Amino acid sequence: MTGLLARPVAGLGSVRGVTSDPGPAPRGAVDPDDAEVGRRFAAGDEQALALAYERWAGQVHGMAVRAFGPGPDAEDVTQQTFISAWTGRARYRPDQGPLPAWLTGVCRHKIADAWARRDRQRREAEAAVSEAEAAPSRGSAPGVDTAIADRMLVLDELELLGQPQRGIIELAFFADLTHAQIAERTGIPLGTVKSHIRRTLERLRTRLEVDGAALPA
Amino acid sequence: MPHCQPEQLALAALHEPLPDDDAAHLASCADCRSEVRSLQRSVDAVAVPEFAAPALPVPPPASVWAGIAAATGVTAAPRAEALAAADEPPPVAVVPSAPFPVTPPEDPPAGAAVLPFRSRRPRLLMVAAAAVAGAVVGAGAVAVLTRGDDGESVTTVALDRLGDEPASGRAEVVVRADGSRALQVDLDAPDLDGEYYEIWLIEPDVVDMVPLGVVRPGAQTFEVPAGLDLGEYPIVDVSVEPLDGDPTHSGFSVARGQLES
Repeated sequence: MTGLLARPVAGLGSVRGVTSDPGPAPRGAVDPDDAEVGRRFAAGDEQALALAYERWAGQVHGMAVRAFGPGPDAEDVTQQTFISAWTGRARYRPDQGPLPAWLTGVCRHKIADAWARRDRQRREAEAAVSEAEAAPSRGSAPGVDTAIADRMLVLDELELLGQPQRGIIELAFFADLTHAQIAERTGIPLGTVKSHIRRTLERLRTRLEVDGAALPA
Repeated sequence: MPHCQPEQLALAALHEPLPDDDAAHLASCADCRSEVRSLQRSVDAVAVPEFAAPALPVPPPASVWAGIAAATGVTAAPRAEALAAADEPPPVAVVPSAPFPVTPPEDPPAGAAVLPFRSRRPRLLMVAAAAVAGAVVGAGAVAVLTRGDDGESVTTVALDRLGDEPASGRAEVVVRADGSRALQVDLDAPDLDGEYYEIWLIEPDVVDMVPLGVVRPGAQTFEVPAGLDLGEYPIVDVSVEPLDGDPTHSGFSVARGQLES
Protein backbone atom coordinates (compact mmCIF):
# COMPACT_ATOMS: atom_id res chain seq x y z
CA MET A 1 0.00 0.00 0.00
CA THR A 2 2.64 2.40 -0.88
CA GLY A 3 1.30 5.77 -0.19
CA LEU A 4 -1.65 4.80 1.88
CA LEU A 5 0.04 4.95 5.17
CA ALA A 6 3.10 6.85 4.15
CA ARG A 7 1.89 9.78 6.15
CA PRO A 8 1.69 9.52 9.88
CA VAL A 9 -1.42 7.64 10.77
CA ALA A 10 -1.85 7.66 14.47
CA GLY A 11 -4.62 5.11 14.26
CA LEU A 12 -2.52 2.44 12.71
CA GLY A 13 0.48 2.74 14.85
CA SER A 14 2.93 3.71 12.20
CA VAL A 15 4.12 6.60 14.23
CA ARG A 16 7.35 6.68 16.13
CA GLY A 17 5.81 9.18 18.49
CA VAL A 18 3.94 6.46 20.28
CA THR A 19 6.72 3.99 20.72
CA SER A 20 7.63 2.52 24.02
CA ASP A 21 10.55 4.80 24.73
CA PRO A 22 9.32 7.00 27.49
CA GLY A 23 12.44 9.06 27.74
CA PRO A 24 15.07 10.43 25.48
CA ALA A 25 16.88 7.39 24.23
CA PRO A 26 19.24 8.87 21.71
CA ARG A 27 19.65 6.78 18.65
CA GLY A 28 22.70 6.76 16.53
CA ALA A 29 22.48 8.01 13.00
CA VAL A 30 23.07 4.48 11.79
CA ASP A 31 19.72 3.29 13.08
CA PRO A 32 17.59 1.97 10.25
CA ASP A 33 14.30 3.75 9.74
CA ASP A 34 11.01 1.98 10.39
CA ALA A 35 10.59 0.90 6.78
CA GLU A 36 14.06 -0.60 6.78
CA VAL A 37 13.29 -2.45 10.00
CA GLY A 38 10.17 -3.82 8.32
CA ARG A 39 12.08 -5.02 5.29
CA ARG A 40 14.77 -6.67 7.40
CA PHE A 41 12.12 -8.23 9.63
CA ALA A 42 10.45 -9.80 6.61
CA ALA A 43 13.83 -10.99 5.40
CA GLY A 44 14.49 -12.76 8.68
CA ASP A 45 17.14 -10.48 10.11
CA GLU A 46 17.18 -11.25 13.83
CA GLN A 47 18.37 -7.78 14.67
CA ALA A 48 15.18 -6.46 13.12
CA LEU A 49 13.12 -8.42 15.64
CA ALA A 50 15.03 -6.77 18.44
CA LEU A 51 14.60 -3.35 16.82
CA ALA A 52 10.90 -3.95 16.26
CA TYR A 53 10.59 -4.87 19.90
CA GLU A 54 12.45 -1.76 20.98
CA ARG A 55 10.20 0.46 18.96
CA TRP A 56 6.78 -1.15 19.18
CA ALA A 57 6.62 -3.47 22.16
CA GLY A 58 5.20 -0.63 24.23
CA GLN A 59 2.43 -0.09 21.77
CA VAL A 60 1.58 -3.78 21.52
CA HIS A 61 1.75 -4.21 25.26
CA GLY A 62 -0.41 -1.15 25.71
CA MET A 63 -3.15 -2.86 23.74
CA ALA A 64 -2.72 -6.06 25.69
CA VAL A 65 -2.84 -4.23 29.00
CA ARG A 66 -5.94 -2.35 27.93
CA ALA A 67 -7.62 -5.66 27.17
CA PHE A 68 -6.49 -7.68 30.18
CA GLY A 69 -5.03 -5.28 32.70
CA PRO A 70 -1.39 -5.41 33.69
CA GLY A 71 -0.07 -8.84 34.54
CA PRO A 72 0.64 -12.28 33.14
CA ASP A 73 -2.28 -12.37 30.70
CA ALA A 74 -1.24 -9.17 28.97
CA GLU A 75 2.39 -10.25 29.04
CA ASP A 76 1.44 -13.52 27.38
CA VAL A 77 -0.38 -11.65 24.63
CA THR A 78 2.57 -9.36 23.98
CA GLN A 79 4.98 -12.25 24.01
CA GLN A 80 2.80 -14.32 21.71
CA THR A 81 2.37 -11.39 19.36
CA PHE A 82 6.08 -11.03 18.76
CA ILE A 83 6.74 -14.76 18.64
CA SER A 84 3.92 -15.25 16.17
CA ALA A 85 4.95 -12.25 14.09
CA TRP A 86 8.47 -13.59 13.88
CA THR A 87 7.62 -17.16 13.05
CA GLY A 88 4.94 -15.96 10.62
CA ARG A 89 7.03 -13.20 9.10
CA ALA A 90 6.59 -14.71 5.64
CA ARG A 91 3.06 -13.34 5.78
CA TYR A 92 4.29 -9.81 6.34
CA ARG A 93 4.72 -7.86 3.12
CA PRO A 94 6.71 -4.69 3.67
CA ASP A 95 5.29 -3.12 0.53
CA GLN A 96 1.80 -3.62 1.93
CA GLY A 97 2.15 -1.50 5.01
CA PRO A 98 4.28 -0.58 7.97
CA LEU A 99 5.39 -3.26 10.39
CA PRO A 100 3.82 -1.68 13.51
CA ALA A 101 0.40 -1.73 11.84
CA TRP A 102 0.89 -5.40 11.06
CA LEU A 103 2.01 -6.13 14.62
CA THR A 104 -1.10 -4.37 15.85
CA GLY A 105 -3.17 -6.72 13.71
CA VAL A 106 -1.35 -9.75 15.10
CA CYS A 107 -1.95 -8.43 18.60
CA ARG A 108 -5.69 -8.15 17.94
CA HIS A 109 -5.64 -11.80 16.90
CA LYS A 110 -3.91 -12.79 20.10
CA ILE A 111 -6.41 -10.86 22.17
CA ALA A 112 -9.28 -12.50 20.31
CA ASP A 113 -7.62 -15.90 20.78
CA ALA A 114 -7.36 -15.33 24.50
CA TRP A 115 -11.00 -14.33 24.70
CA ALA A 116 -12.04 -17.39 22.73
CA ARG A 117 -9.96 -19.60 25.01
CA ARG A 118 -11.60 -18.14 28.08
CA ASP A 119 -15.00 -18.52 26.55
CA ARG A 120 -14.30 -22.15 25.73
CA GLN A 121 -13.07 -22.85 29.24
CA ARG A 122 -16.13 -21.21 30.69
CA ARG A 123 -18.40 -23.27 28.47
CA GLU A 124 -16.60 -26.47 29.28
CA ALA A 125 -16.92 -25.71 32.95
CA GLU A 126 -20.60 -24.98 32.53
CA ALA A 127 -21.08 -28.12 30.48
CA ALA A 128 -19.37 -30.16 33.15
CA VAL A 129 -21.62 -28.67 35.77
CA SER A 130 -24.78 -29.26 33.82
CA GLU A 131 -23.71 -32.78 33.05
CA ALA A 132 -23.05 -33.39 36.71
CA GLU A 133 -26.49 -32.09 37.48
CA ALA A 134 -27.78 -34.40 34.79
CA ALA A 135 -29.87 -31.66 33.38
CA PRO A 136 -31.70 -33.57 30.66
CA SER A 137 -31.84 -30.96 28.00
CA ARG A 138 -30.50 -27.52 27.75
CA GLY A 139 -30.45 -27.69 23.99
CA SER A 140 -27.07 -28.23 22.39
CA ALA A 141 -25.12 -25.14 23.25
CA PRO A 142 -23.10 -23.86 20.35
CA GLY A 143 -19.39 -24.53 20.72
CA VAL A 144 -18.48 -20.93 20.88
CA ASP A 145 -20.11 -17.58 21.31
CA THR A 146 -21.24 -16.16 17.96
CA ALA A 147 -19.72 -12.75 18.57
CA ILE A 148 -16.40 -14.30 19.49
CA ALA A 149 -16.42 -16.55 16.44
CA ASP A 150 -17.39 -13.66 14.17
CA ARG A 151 -14.57 -11.58 15.57
CA MET A 152 -11.98 -14.22 14.74
CA LEU A 153 -13.37 -14.67 11.25
CA VAL A 154 -13.31 -10.95 10.53
CA LEU A 155 -9.74 -10.61 11.78
CA ASP A 156 -8.78 -13.58 9.62
CA GLU A 157 -10.39 -12.14 6.56
CA LEU A 158 -8.83 -8.72 7.11
CA GLU A 159 -5.46 -10.37 6.90
CA LEU A 160 -6.29 -11.71 3.50
CA LEU A 161 -7.19 -8.30 2.14
CA GLY A 162 -4.79 -6.51 -0.12
CA GLN A 163 -4.05 -2.84 -0.06
CA PRO A 164 -5.44 -0.30 -0.11
CA GLN A 165 -8.60 -2.16 0.96
CA ARG A 166 -7.16 -3.36 4.22
CA GLY A 167 -5.79 -0.01 5.26
CA ILE A 168 -9.06 1.68 4.41
CA ILE A 169 -11.26 -0.70 6.35
CA GLU A 170 -8.89 -0.72 9.31
CA LEU A 171 -9.08 3.05 9.49
CA ALA A 172 -12.85 2.77 9.48
CA PHE A 173 -12.96 -0.08 12.01
CA PHE A 174 -10.21 0.75 14.42
CA ALA A 175 -9.44 4.43 14.03
CA ASP A 176 -13.12 5.31 13.77
CA LEU A 177 -12.60 7.59 10.79
CA THR A 178 -15.39 8.51 8.39
CA HIS A 179 -14.92 7.76 4.72
CA ALA A 180 -14.27 11.46 4.12
CA GLN A 181 -11.54 11.48 6.74
CA ILE A 182 -10.05 8.32 5.27
CA ALA A 183 -9.98 9.90 1.83
CA GLU A 184 -8.31 12.96 3.24
CA ARG A 185 -5.84 10.94 5.27
CA THR A 186 -4.83 8.61 2.47
CA GLY A 187 -5.20 10.84 -0.56
CA ILE A 188 -7.41 8.21 -2.17
CA PRO A 189 -10.44 9.72 -3.97
CA LEU A 190 -13.67 9.74 -2.00
CA GLY A 191 -15.56 7.60 -4.51
CA THR A 192 -12.80 4.99 -4.47
CA VAL A 193 -12.81 4.85 -0.69
CA LYS A 194 -16.57 4.33 -0.68
CA SER A 195 -16.52 1.54 -3.23
CA HIS A 196 -13.66 -0.20 -1.41
CA ILE A 197 -15.60 -0.02 1.84
CA ARG A 198 -18.68 -1.45 0.17
CA ARG A 199 -16.82 -4.31 -1.45
CA THR A 200 -14.90 -5.12 1.70
CA LEU A 201 -18.03 -5.24 3.83
CA GLU A 202 -19.62 -7.53 1.24
CA ARG A 203 -16.61 -9.77 1.36
CA LEU A 204 -16.70 -9.91 5.16
CA ARG A 205 -20.42 -10.62 5.06
CA THR A 206 -19.84 -13.52 2.72
CA ARG A 207 -17.13 -14.91 4.94
CA LEU A 208 -19.39 -14.75 7.97
CA GLU A 209 -22.29 -16.31 6.11
CA VAL A 210 -20.15 -19.14 4.81
CA ASP A 211 -18.02 -19.88 7.87
CA GLY A 212 -19.87 -18.28 10.71
CA ALA A 213 -22.70 -19.55 12.80
CA ALA A 214 -26.16 -19.02 11.38
CA LEU A 215 -27.84 -16.15 13.09
CA PRO A 216 -31.34 -16.58 14.43
CA ALA A 217 -33.71 -15.45 11.74
CA MET B 1 -37.89 7.33 -3.87
CA PRO B 2 -35.31 4.87 -5.23
CA HIS B 3 -33.33 2.64 -2.92
CA CYS B 4 -30.14 3.94 -1.40
CA GLN B 5 -26.96 3.31 -3.31
CA PRO B 6 -25.07 0.26 -2.09
CA GLU B 7 -22.12 2.45 -1.07
CA GLN B 8 -24.37 4.55 1.12
CA LEU B 9 -25.73 1.49 2.84
CA ALA B 10 -22.19 0.35 3.54
CA LEU B 11 -21.48 3.68 5.20
CA ALA B 12 -24.66 3.31 7.21
CA ALA B 13 -23.38 -0.08 8.32
CA LEU B 14 -20.29 1.70 9.61
CA HIS B 15 -22.59 3.95 11.60
CA GLU B 16 -21.82 6.97 9.48
CA PRO B 17 -24.64 9.49 9.23
CA LEU B 18 -26.22 9.58 5.78
CA PRO B 19 -27.46 12.58 3.81
CA ASP B 20 -31.04 13.50 4.67
CA ASP B 21 -32.75 11.91 1.71
CA ASP B 22 -30.87 8.64 2.15
CA ALA B 23 -31.62 8.66 5.84
CA ALA B 24 -35.29 9.28 5.15
CA HIS B 25 -35.47 6.45 2.68
CA LEU B 26 -33.65 4.08 4.97
CA ALA B 27 -36.10 4.84 7.73
CA SER B 28 -38.98 3.76 5.53
CA CYS B 29 -37.46 0.85 3.58
CA ALA B 30 -37.21 -2.56 5.18
CA ASP B 31 -35.10 -3.95 2.33
CA CYS B 32 -32.41 -1.31 2.73
CA ARG B 33 -32.41 -1.68 6.49
CA SER B 34 -32.02 -5.39 6.15
CA GLU B 35 -29.08 -4.84 3.83
CA VAL B 36 -27.45 -2.53 6.36
CA ARG B 37 -27.94 -5.08 9.12
CA SER B 38 -26.34 -7.83 7.09
CA LEU B 39 -23.32 -5.65 6.37
CA GLN B 40 -23.13 -4.59 9.97
CA ARG B 41 -22.42 -8.02 11.36
CA SER B 42 -18.71 -7.75 10.60
CA VAL B 43 -18.57 -4.14 11.73
CA ASP B 44 -20.04 -4.98 15.08
CA ALA B 45 -17.89 -8.07 15.48
CA VAL B 46 -14.73 -6.01 15.80
CA ALA B 47 -16.23 -2.86 17.26
CA VAL B 48 -14.73 -3.39 20.67
CA PRO B 49 -12.71 -0.72 22.43
CA GLU B 50 -9.89 -3.20 22.99
CA PHE B 51 -9.15 -3.21 19.26
CA ALA B 52 -9.04 0.53 18.81
CA ALA B 53 -5.74 2.02 17.89
CA PRO B 54 -3.65 3.47 19.24
CA ALA B 55 -3.54 2.32 22.81
CA LEU B 56 -1.54 4.09 25.43
CA PRO B 57 1.90 2.51 25.21
CA VAL B 58 2.98 0.44 28.19
CA PRO B 59 6.52 -0.88 28.37
CA PRO B 60 6.42 -4.62 29.00
CA PRO B 61 8.60 -6.09 31.73
CA ALA B 62 11.94 -7.52 30.67
CA SER B 63 10.70 -11.06 31.11
CA VAL B 64 8.56 -10.65 28.00
CA TRP B 65 11.59 -10.26 25.78
CA ALA B 66 13.32 -13.11 27.55
CA GLY B 67 10.41 -15.35 26.62
CA ILE B 68 10.47 -14.18 23.02
CA ALA B 69 14.20 -14.77 22.76
CA ALA B 70 13.86 -18.21 24.30
CA ALA B 71 11.00 -19.23 22.03
CA THR B 72 12.51 -17.90 18.81
CA GLY B 73 16.14 -18.63 19.54
CA VAL B 74 16.99 -15.13 18.46
CA THR B 75 20.24 -13.94 19.98
CA ALA B 76 19.98 -10.30 18.97
CA ALA B 77 18.62 -8.21 21.81
CA PRO B 78 16.89 -4.90 22.19
CA ARG B 79 18.95 -2.23 23.80
CA ALA B 80 18.92 -2.38 27.53
CA GLU B 81 16.86 0.76 27.91
CA ALA B 82 14.01 -0.87 26.05
CA LEU B 83 14.02 -3.65 28.58
CA ALA B 84 14.75 -1.68 31.68
CA ALA B 85 11.33 -0.14 31.85
CA ALA B 86 9.92 -3.06 33.75
CA ASP B 87 6.96 -2.56 36.00
CA GLU B 88 8.61 -4.49 38.74
CA PRO B 89 12.06 -4.44 40.23
CA PRO B 90 14.44 -6.96 38.73
CA PRO B 91 14.94 -10.01 40.92
CA VAL B 92 17.86 -9.47 43.20
CA ALA B 93 20.82 -11.79 43.38
CA VAL B 94 20.44 -12.70 39.75
CA VAL B 95 23.20 -14.86 38.48
CA PRO B 96 24.25 -12.99 35.35
CA SER B 97 23.42 -15.72 32.92
CA ALA B 98 20.39 -14.06 31.39
CA PRO B 99 20.51 -13.98 27.60
CA PHE B 100 20.32 -10.22 27.45
CA PRO B 101 21.68 -7.33 29.43
CA VAL B 102 19.34 -6.78 32.31
CA THR B 103 19.42 -3.86 34.62
CA PRO B 104 21.92 -4.62 37.33
CA PRO B 105 20.29 -5.19 40.68
CA GLU B 106 21.15 -1.76 41.96
CA ASP B 107 20.24 -0.59 45.42
CA PRO B 108 16.51 -0.34 45.63
CA PRO B 109 15.13 3.06 46.52
CA ALA B 110 14.31 3.33 50.18
CA GLY B 111 11.00 1.72 50.97
CA ALA B 112 10.70 -0.01 47.64
CA ALA B 113 9.06 -3.36 47.84
CA VAL B 114 11.80 -5.65 46.68
CA LEU B 115 10.81 -9.23 47.19
CA PRO B 116 14.02 -11.14 46.88
CA PHE B 117 12.56 -14.60 46.74
CA ARG B 118 9.66 -14.01 44.51
CA SER B 119 9.61 -13.84 40.80
CA ARG B 120 6.73 -13.39 38.47
CA ARG B 121 7.12 -14.93 35.07
CA PRO B 122 4.60 -15.79 32.41
CA ARG B 123 3.95 -19.46 31.92
CA LEU B 124 5.36 -19.47 28.45
CA LEU B 125 8.61 -18.13 29.70
CA MET B 126 8.96 -20.90 32.19
CA VAL B 127 8.45 -23.47 29.51
CA ALA B 128 10.70 -21.72 27.09
CA ALA B 129 13.30 -21.09 29.70
CA ALA B 130 14.16 -24.76 29.77
CA ALA B 131 15.71 -24.18 26.39
CA VAL B 132 18.06 -21.61 27.81
CA ALA B 133 20.03 -24.22 29.68
CA GLY B 134 18.35 -23.55 32.96
CA ALA B 135 19.52 -19.97 32.91
CA VAL B 136 16.34 -18.76 34.46
CA VAL B 137 15.41 -21.55 36.79
CA GLY B 138 18.52 -21.23 38.87
CA ALA B 139 18.71 -17.51 38.60
CA GLY B 140 17.63 -16.82 42.12
CA ALA B 141 20.17 -19.05 43.74
CA VAL B 142 22.56 -17.51 46.15
CA ALA B 143 25.08 -19.24 48.31
CA VAL B 144 25.48 -18.20 51.88
CA LEU B 145 27.59 -19.47 54.67
CA THR B 146 26.28 -18.95 58.13
CA ARG B 147 26.62 -20.83 61.34
CA GLY B 148 23.69 -21.23 63.61
CA ASP B 149 22.42 -23.61 66.19
CA ASP B 150 20.87 -25.82 63.58
CA GLY B 151 24.04 -26.45 61.69
CA GLU B 152 25.94 -24.82 58.92
CA SER B 153 24.02 -23.53 55.99
CA VAL B 154 25.78 -24.50 52.82
CA THR B 155 23.45 -23.16 50.23
CA THR B 156 20.20 -21.29 49.90
CA VAL B 157 17.95 -21.33 46.93
CA ALA B 158 14.97 -19.20 46.03
CA LEU B 159 11.88 -21.14 45.10
CA ASP B 160 10.45 -19.17 42.22
CA ARG B 161 6.85 -19.40 41.43
CA LEU B 162 5.84 -21.29 38.30
CA GLY B 163 2.95 -20.19 36.18
CA ASP B 164 0.10 -18.45 37.87
CA GLU B 165 0.34 -20.19 41.19
CA PRO B 166 1.12 -17.75 43.96
CA ALA B 167 3.63 -20.06 45.61
CA SER B 168 7.22 -19.16 46.27
CA GLY B 169 9.74 -19.36 49.03
CA ARG B 170 13.23 -20.42 49.84
CA ALA B 171 15.08 -23.56 50.74
CA GLU B 172 18.30 -23.89 52.64
CA VAL B 173 20.58 -26.88 52.94
CA VAL B 174 22.15 -27.14 56.35
CA VAL B 175 24.79 -29.57 57.57
CA ARG B 176 24.57 -30.47 61.22
CA ALA B 177 27.49 -31.16 63.51
CA ASP B 178 27.04 -34.89 63.07
CA GLY B 179 27.28 -34.57 59.30
CA SER B 180 23.60 -35.15 58.62
CA ARG B 181 21.86 -32.75 56.30
CA ALA B 182 18.52 -31.06 56.35
CA LEU B 183 16.54 -28.94 53.98
CA GLN B 184 14.91 -26.00 55.69
CA VAL B 185 12.02 -24.78 53.64
CA ASP B 186 10.07 -21.58 53.99
CA LEU B 187 7.05 -21.74 51.75
CA ASP B 188 4.87 -18.75 51.01
CA ALA B 189 1.73 -20.18 49.46
CA PRO B 190 -1.99 -20.28 50.03
CA ASP B 191 -3.53 -23.09 52.04
CA LEU B 192 -4.99 -25.89 49.98
CA ASP B 193 -8.25 -27.70 50.31
CA GLY B 194 -8.33 -31.36 49.35
CA GLU B 195 -4.75 -31.20 48.07
CA TYR B 196 -1.36 -30.76 49.66
CA TYR B 197 2.09 -29.47 48.84
CA GLU B 198 4.96 -31.87 48.55
CA ILE B 199 8.63 -31.10 48.28
CA TRP B 200 10.99 -32.96 45.99
CA LEU B 201 14.62 -33.08 44.98
CA ILE B 202 14.83 -33.67 41.26
CA GLU B 203 17.62 -34.35 38.83
CA PRO B 204 18.22 -31.84 36.03
CA ASP B 205 16.48 -33.79 33.31
CA VAL B 206 13.48 -34.18 35.57
CA VAL B 207 13.20 -37.95 35.41
CA ASP B 208 14.40 -39.21 38.75
CA MET B 209 13.29 -37.57 41.92
CA VAL B 210 13.33 -38.00 45.66
CA PRO B 211 10.28 -36.99 47.71
CA LEU B 212 11.16 -35.28 50.96
CA GLY B 213 7.67 -35.01 52.27
CA VAL B 214 4.55 -33.03 52.77
CA VAL B 215 5.09 -29.33 53.19
CA ARG B 216 2.67 -26.71 54.36
CA PRO B 217 2.91 -22.94 54.04
CA GLY B 218 5.44 -21.66 56.54
CA ALA B 219 8.81 -22.91 57.78
CA GLN B 220 9.66 -26.60 58.12
CA THR B 221 12.70 -28.82 58.08
CA PHE B 222 13.14 -31.99 56.08
CA GLU B 223 15.77 -34.65 56.42
CA VAL B 224 17.96 -35.14 53.37
CA PRO B 225 18.66 -38.86 52.90
CA ALA B 226 22.21 -39.72 53.88
CA GLY B 227 24.37 -40.34 50.86
CA LEU B 228 22.09 -38.50 48.46
CA ASP B 229 24.22 -36.45 46.07
CA LEU B 230 22.62 -33.03 45.90
CA GLY B 231 24.67 -32.33 42.81
CA GLU B 232 22.68 -35.06 41.09
CA TYR B 233 19.37 -33.83 42.45
CA PRO B 234 19.79 -30.08 42.51
CA ILE B 235 16.23 -29.00 41.74
CA VAL B 236 14.09 -28.20 44.73
CA ASP B 237 10.50 -28.54 43.58
CA VAL B 238 7.19 -27.90 45.27
CA SER B 239 4.22 -29.71 43.80
CA VAL B 240 0.53 -29.79 44.51
CA GLU B 241 -0.64 -33.35 45.10
CA PRO B 242 -4.21 -34.55 45.09
CA LEU B 243 -5.38 -36.83 47.87
CA ASP B 244 -5.52 -39.78 45.50
CA GLY B 245 -3.16 -42.22 47.13
CA ASP B 246 -0.77 -42.02 44.22
CA PRO B 247 2.75 -41.51 45.59
CA THR B 248 4.22 -40.20 42.33
CA HIS B 249 4.67 -36.58 41.41
CA SER B 250 1.43 -35.06 40.15
CA GLY B 251 3.25 -33.13 37.47
CA PHE B 252 1.79 -29.95 38.87
CA SER B 253 4.70 -27.91 40.16
CA VAL B 254 4.08 -24.51 41.65
CA ALA B 255 7.53 -23.34 42.75
CA ARG B 256 11.03 -24.36 41.98
CA GLY B 257 14.65 -23.47 42.47
CA GLN B 258 18.00 -25.01 41.68
CA LEU B 259 20.76 -25.60 44.17
CA GLU B 260 24.16 -24.44 43.11
CA SER B 261 26.63 -27.26 42.89
